[in-house]
Amino acid sequence: MRRIAIIAAMSAAALNTTALHAEPLKVGIIESLSGAQTSTGRLYANAVKYGVERINEAGGFNGEPVSVTEYDNAGGAPDAADKFRKAVGDGVDIIFQGASSAIAGQLTEDVRKHNIRNPGKEVIFINLGGDAMELTGQKCQFYHFRYTATAPMRVNAMVSAMKEAGELGTKVYSINQNYSWGQDMQAAVAAAAEAGGYKVVDEVLHDVNKIQDFAPFVARIKSAAPDTVFTGNWSNDLLLLMKAVGDAGLDVTFATAFLDQPGNIANAGKTALGHYIANNYDNAATDGKFAETYKKATGHYPIFVEGHSAFALGALQQALGKVNFGGGDINVTKIALALENTTYETPLGPISVRKEDHQTIRPVVVSKVVKNPKYPADETDMGFETVKIIAGDKAIYPVQDSCRMERPKE
Amino acid sequence: MAAIRNTLLLAALLVLLIAVPPFLGLGWQNALVNVLIASLFALAFNLLIGQAGLLSFGHAAYFGIGAFAALHLMIAIEDGFPFPTPLVPLAGAAAGLLIGLIAGYFATMRSGVYFALVTLAIAELFHSLAPRLEAVFGGESGISSMRMPWSDITFGSMLEVYYLTLAWVLICGLGLWAYTRTPFGRLTLALRDNEQRVRFLGYSTHSVKVIVFAVSAMLTGVAGSLQAISNETANYSLFASDVSAQVVLQTFVGGSTVFFGPVIGAAVFTLFSFLVSDLTRSWVLYQGLIFVLVMLYAPSGIGGVLQHHIRNRRQLDWRPLSGLYLLALAGGVLITAGTVFLTETVAVLFGEEYAVARRNAGGSLPAYELFGAHWDPTDIFTWLLPLVLLAGGGAITVSTRRHVTAFWNRGGGSRDTAARPVSLGGAA
Amino acid sequence: MEFAIISTLNGVTYGLLLFMVSAGLTLIFGMMGVLNFAHASFYMLGAYIAYAVSSVFGFWVGIAVAPVVVGLIGMAVERFLLPRVHAHGHAHELLLTFGLALIIEELIKLFFGDFPVNYQMPGGMRFSAFSIFGADYPFYRIFIGGMAVVMFTALWVLLTRTRTGIVVRAAERLPAMAEALGHNIPMVFMFVFGTGAALAGLAGAVAGAFYPTNPNMGIELGVIVFVVVVVGGLGSLKGSLVASLLIGLFSSFAVGLDWSLASLLGVIGLGDWARSFGGLMTLKLSSISATIPFALMLIVLLVRPAGLMGERN
Repeated sequence: MRRIAIIAAMSAAALNTTALHAEPLKVGIIESLSGAQTSTGRLYANAVKYGVERINEAGGFNGEPVSVTEYDNAGGAPDAADKFRKAVGDGVDIIFQGASSAIAGQLTEDVRKHNIRNPGKEVIFINLGGDAMELTGQKCQFYHFRYTATAPMRVNAMVSAMKEAGELGTKVYSINQNYSWGQDMQAAVAAAAEAGGYKVVDEVLHDVNKIQDFAPFVARIKSAAPDTVFTGNWSNDLLLLMKAVGDAGLDVTFATAFLDQPGNIANAGKTALGHYIANNYDNAATDGKFAETYKKATGHYPIFVEGHSAFALGALQQALGKVNFGGGDINVTKIALALENTTYETPLGPISVRKEDHQTIRPVVVSKVVKNPKYPADETDMGFETVKIIAGDKAIYPVQDSCRMERPKE
Repeated sequence: MAAIRNTLLLAALLVLLIAVPPFLGLGWQNALVNVLIASLFALAFNLLIGQAGLLSFGHAAYFGIGAFAALHLMIAIEDGFPFPTPLVPLAGAAAGLLIGLIAGYFATMRSGVYFALVTLAIAELFHSLAPRLEAVFGGESGISSMRMPWSDITFGSMLEVYYLTLAWVLICGLGLWAYTRTPFGRLTLALRDNEQRVRFLGYSTHSVKVIVFAVSAMLTGVAGSLQAISNETANYSLFASDVSAQVVLQTFVGGSTVFFGPVIGAAVFTLFSFLVSDLTRSWVLYQGLIFVLVMLYAPSGIGGVLQHHIRNRRQLDWRPLSGLYLLALAGGVLITAGTVFLTETVAVLFGEEYAVARRNAGGSLPAYELFGAHWDPTDIFTWLLPLVLLAGGGAITVSTRRHVTAFWNRGGGSRDTAARPVSLGGAA
Repeated sequence: MEFAIISTLNGVTYGLLLFMVSAGLTLIFGMMGVLNFAHASFYMLGAYIAYAVSSVFGFWVGIAVAPVVVGLIGMAVERFLLPRVHAHGHAHELLLTFGLALIIEELIKLFFGDFPVNYQMPGGMRFSAFSIFGADYPFYRIFIGGMAVVMFTALWVLLTRTRTGIVVRAAERLPAMAEALGHNIPMVFMFVFGTGAALAGLAGAVAGAFYPTNPNMGIELGVIVFVVVVVGGLGSLKGSLVASLLIGLFSSFAVGLDWSLASLLGVIGLGDWARSFGGLMTLKLSSISATIPFALMLIVLLVRPAGLMGERN
């Protein structure tokens, strides 16, 4: 990395004649719109479009409506890199992405390199769902903003809420997917043991979305006899695990991060009842005004990642209100600086950006699956009931030592 | 004469490839880099299937290996190792060759379906082990680096990357072409056509296959490292089965029996995905349909069909034939329009947004918007339109096809000479 | 002990499910020499058709209709599509089915969306068959296993004990001779292909109600099923039964075993030395359980290329 200065100097020399551009603000969504994670990618895209519509309803930005373009990364990092270049070619100023930490890792690196090489034509990356700690650790950079909660935030929130509800128990099992997110979860569960007054009886990391049959894992869980099973699993890995545990009739409570993924509740059926989830947003935790507004615009209540992604756009809208280019050239760095200083009020509490690593300080909602909730999930009679809302300043964890952010010269 | 003309044609193409890109936007430059990389990948892959008759379903392994090797070298350069950036693909070539020799030694012990499955298994092994071996493959987020300046070139702009890629693809492509002209290249062909006879001639067919496999893997490694240079990152998803699948699709749509066929396929599919993938959610479906249609009606691929026409150009009476082809084209356009309309209609009607619209409309079927017009799903016209398009296009195509076949049969040259069957016997 | 018994049970039932899908694949390959890449897509199609039908007519109708529809689709593929590319060799047949797999998956996404659909077994079947070491054993797992056993027996009896079976086997060995004897060989092939597809469809209809029914289920199972037929020996029904069980048991046991190469070397006192390397040496078996089938396949191919039960020819 030590020779980056050379590149920056050479690029600046080559580009110092380049003017800032006078165009409408362009937003790009680089999401998994085909391939295995399409369902999640589609929801992120929905929310971003919803947010941009709100901005445009309020008069757009810089005298023009904000434009939004979707780019399909087909669920893979190489395609995402490709689509990033296409987006840059289209003159995109801000990119959004959520599904998959691996893709977020790719994009944040691409953005970093692009910004070094093209001073004056920077791009902001707003990360809606890449939870890997390294994105605000080793890979942290000024132009990356993470508008979602990470593993320690979720686990700490769940531990405190479940402990209060008396459902945590003293024996905890940790089963996660063997990649950065799962490893982060496993570390967070182990780290919270003392505060939660529990013992981690066994921990296991397994292949990501490759396992068809979780019964063997259930046999392993069974022999450890835990009270609560913590898992960061998502998609099939969560569904299959829960079903297998339900079928074996084990009496354990699940503490999850992605139980609200569409289809999960319907597919798991009664097995899902009583399990916990910690996430960024849940309709039941609010007065319902936002949910109604969202429904009016899109036809459905916000589900899964749509709510918190819409808040990221809300924060952006607020930040855009603070900068004024008078219809002239857009300076993306100024927008980033404004976003850094924005505290956005959501129905759950304020969201602000921590300047040191650009992780958002944000509330975490802990909910539980119950029968006949206010907002039924997947057209079943089940859904989520709020157990506790942890305020942002309580949920946040210290900045990681590995983060060395280089700020733009002001 | 033919040689001179071909050279001239190639030279003209080369001039276009060199002169045009500076005037293109960043998106197009990037798309062209992808076309070049995909072309080299497909050419290298086709050395196995087109020349040696070995169908590999796991070429992603060597592509990925090449990419990772190049990135490790780039990281070393970043840390001060004095190595010229333009020569980074040599790392990919070396790694591809090495892994290709090892994997090839095992895979070529079997042929036919078994060979295909062994290569598939090797790629899957890489795919599932790579995220676990963080030191080499950097976990699931992979490793990344930055192109370092070399002499006066920063390699910061896409255009510089493009020319670097072009140079490498040209060198490797010409090298491959020259290889097919060598006696050893001829031996590879003989291997495809009759392995037993080659063995009886005293050659060790296994060693020949291993060498061909390794050469193919080496050039695939170069393609992978070119992608690493262009992306500046690599992660384990390079080993995924769809990377292997993509090169199979491209090679066969382009035509595996013609040397430059795979380049055509690679260009068509890469540009297709560049232009269409963001417009419709069904683009993978269209890709699959194209592939199946080519398999059914032009098994020798686009390149095979072209070559067949070029070979027979003197014997053919072009005037009636071009009329027939125009008619066939019109039929094809109608069918395409009908298919796209139906597909997009289904995508809308079964989509979530429409489900919401239905709920809001109290369960009835509201009109939807498509191609800038409103369509009512209960209106018979909405369904009649694609059906008429399909039926009309189908009728035209079927009847023209009959005429074209008759025409070719009259003209002497059988339509299928270009397609040599690739034998892939069961437990051979 | 408790772990071993439960893992054995799980391994056997999962293996039997694998067998249900691989039976059709190996049947088709044994007869026609076609490696059907779309086979796992037929499995997925079975699950989706059963889901669509059962949401209107009930679970059992869905289970009955799905294999019939999938079988008909399979027959259509064999009758109308495969002959077109047959002249160009097995490679083109394989490529054609590969393209079909792509199309089927995309069509399913088009009609049913990308989310898993809510395909459930009837409530009446959701009970535990027995209790073992304090854990319930779901009846449906036994049901899936039972279906596979019934299927294997039926196929075996059909092929070895009936006149139809004799014709089918004759068509496999010497198609020209069988045809000369007056048997309609194209018909036999179509029937075999349809049966193979229908078996996959049945497996999908049964298993889809237990495992999630989503557009990825085909790919996810497909690769494993290839491994099964290769390990068992392409074309050998008995072989694929053995291989299915083997892989089922392997993946079931691997989960509970935190072995690594380092711990293996630890037995001869080289554990710390191996651990210092990290990487491959310290990978735990449990974390790479999905890799095991592929490694197994490579080993089998190298040691016994024709597969465990395959005929050498």
